[in-house]
Amino acid sequence: MKPWLRGLVPLTVVVLAATACGGDSSGDDTDLKGDTVTVIGTWGGDEQKAFLEMVKPWEQQTGATVKYTGTRDINTILTTGVASGVLPDLAGLPGPGQMVEYANAGKLLPLDGVLDLATYQSEVAPALVEVGKVEGKIHGVFIKAAVKGLMWYSPKLHDYAASPPATWTDLLSQATANQGAAKATWCLGIESGAASGWPATDWIEDLVLRTAGPAAYTQWYQGKIKWSDPAIKNAFQMYVNDVVGKTYGGTVTAVATNFENAGNPLFASPPGCVFLHQASFITGLGGFKSLTAGTDYNFFPFPDINPQYAGAVEGAGDLFGMFHDTPAAKSLMRYLVTAPAQDIWVKIGGALSANKNATSYKDDISKRSAALLANAKVFAFDASDLMPSAMNDAFWRGMVALTNGSKSVDQTLADLDAAQKDAYTS
Amino acid sequence: MTIVAVPEAPSAAQPAARPPVRPRRKLVLHLAVVALMIIWVTPTLGLLVSSFRPQSVLSQSGWWTAFAPPYQFTLENYQGVLEQSGIGQAFINSLFIAIPATIIPLFVAAFAAYAFSWMEFWGRDVLFVVVVGLLVVPLQTTLIPVLKAFADWGLTGQFLAVWLAHTGYGLPFAVYLLRNFMGSLPRSVFESASLDGANHVVSFFRIAVPMSVPAFAALAIFQFLFVWNDLLVALIYIGLANSDNLPMTAAMANLVNSLGGGWYLLGAAAFLSMILPLAVFFGLQRYFVRGIVGGAVKG
Repeated sequence: MKPWLRGLVPLTVVVLAATACGGDSSGDDTDLKGDTVTVIGTWGGDEQKAFLEMVKPWEQQTGATVKYTGTRDINTILTTGVASGVLPDLAGLPGPGQMVEYANAGKLLPLDGVLDLATYQSEVAPALVEVGKVEGKIHGVFIKAAVKGLMWYSPKLHDYAASPPATWTDLLSQATANQGAAKATWCLGIESGAASGWPATDWIEDLVLRTAGPAAYTQWYQGKIKWSDPAIKNAFQMYVNDVVGKTYGGTVTAVATNFENAGNPLFASPPGCVFLHQASFITGLGGFKSLTAGTDYNFFPFPDINPQYAGAVEGAGDLFGMFHDTPAAKSLMRYLVTAPAQDIWVKIGGALSANKNATSYKDDISKRSAALLANAKVFAFDASDLMPSAMNDAFWRGMVALTNGSKSVDQTLADLDAAQKDAYTS
Repeated sequence: MTIVAVPEAPSAAQPAARPPVRPRRKLVLHLAVVALMIIWVTPTLGLLVSSFRPQSVLSQSGWWTAFAPPYQFTLENYQGVLEQSGIGQAFINSLFIAIPATIIPLFVAAFAAYAFSWMEFWGRDVLFVVVVGLLVVPLQTTLIPVLKAFADWGLTGQFLAVWLAHTGYGLPFAVYLLRNFMGSLPRSVFESASLDGANHVVSFFRIAVPMSVPAFAALAIFQFLFVWNDLLVALIYIGLANSDNLPMTAAMANLVNSLGGGWYLLGAAAFLSMILPLAVFFGLQRYFVRGIVGGAVKG
């Protein structure tokens, strides 16, 4: 170390001590005054506002402050942080794969001793609790969640609320019967910057879950069955025939339209399509944002396909974990998963809570999607999020190629099989 | 590579040396230059127009349709950016980061460049090749080891950390550029100074520095823009430990939420963050044109 640098050390040590840890305390919430908890997450814009709103009561109660950094490059930042040992106290985790990695590196700390386990497990859907576990111990919790695979429609074209389609064939025939002036059955838009293709992966996941069942679904994302397996291939073929073939504007529109705006033709006059398949969070985006829930748009859940696997629901969410077990960080973690804290974000809107007891949803639509999440008979976590990131990327790319017609189903599956060989080895 | 001022056509000095440019060829040249300029400016112009269009219109039609009625323009995007909490602090932070991170490497590189050009010492050329060779090291590969070092020294989250990091990342190119420039200064100037009793310190401050002002200006612009637009280095060395010190780029990137909502604010954000670099560029621009003529001696 250079001598002039050495001069700076005492100063910075004091600063670090003041910001990073609160010294040895008993973990009592009352003596956190002046402490700081650093948090890094993917939430920006309105989400960042909602999160800061959510931590405000905790700050007031304890006298501690939260320093939040939002970045969508969370994967890069945390990977660098884990490798070099400089980490925030709490952080949003890029995905379940990285959670396991960080936990195995000994950096991500178990939350079993931090959370009120009995309450947490009774309030959160078991499948979500399960996703957050590494070697049997909870390392990640869900601050917010989403239900995937909802069928959005405009009640002004036809109101499906009274008798929502119960099966896939029922859905397709009802769509044709009630098409009216609409130009096509589906609205589809899979553009999403570097993550383009993910809305189509959700389609495949929903179809696999309901045609092949949760067991095959699990083997599939674990890389234990091939993509060209008939169970998976069937879903791809359904997607090409029943969805892409009946898409508003054709394949070029589907690939070039941002997922946020994919649903806009629902509300055009004459409507472009009858249904949009998208997750619960779409209500805060694109054309949905300025419309009224219930009167302008509504949804019904993805219908069952194989009756054997009835009642399956796919969901996703943002994992959240702890890197430093300072008393303030522990206290904040405990607070964030509670129903009163979750209620704050739920009230602001734009997200569902994984917590069943957070029920102050703004509108009936969010309430119903939250109920789906809480009461699902079979709950599956987003498969592409659970795959290794190389596999996930290949899946996204493959879906773009398949949707715009540059690759056939067989070619796409062959590409994905090739990617699978390497993706699961490391 | 010499980024030097484009001297005015030497019409007065050497009228007979060059045949007059034929008018037709000149026209073709001008057309080509104008065409290139239009291609170059179009995306930026599109961004500027888009930054004034309301979100609902943005996603439905191209920016060029804005010039036909109905004229739909709004300042809401700019308002949205300015309302982001902490944007003022982030702007100050950006200045706190960018100014020292431009000046420090400039100083160090000037000394180094002088030594590499005019001082004789053992291993000079090898050392120079090593320094320039560092140009090929991608800065991403250094993130983890450097962050570890900063953590040991207790620098993470502080401005000093990014100053040092940017100095390191900027030096190879800065040394390379300045050495080439100083090396091309006339040897006779330094020799006569030395005969008059000037040592290296005097030669450096009285001769090398004043004559190299255009190179300094060019380098300062490069380095300033690099630091001003940097997101990754700031996020790694500051963001992990202390979000209070994050620069504008981090605040801008954060306008977009995790699902991509809020993207329509980015055009306005881009222009707000461009104001200062543009000012810096126009402020230093005259050095490009004037600089070299000022101090040079006819060789």
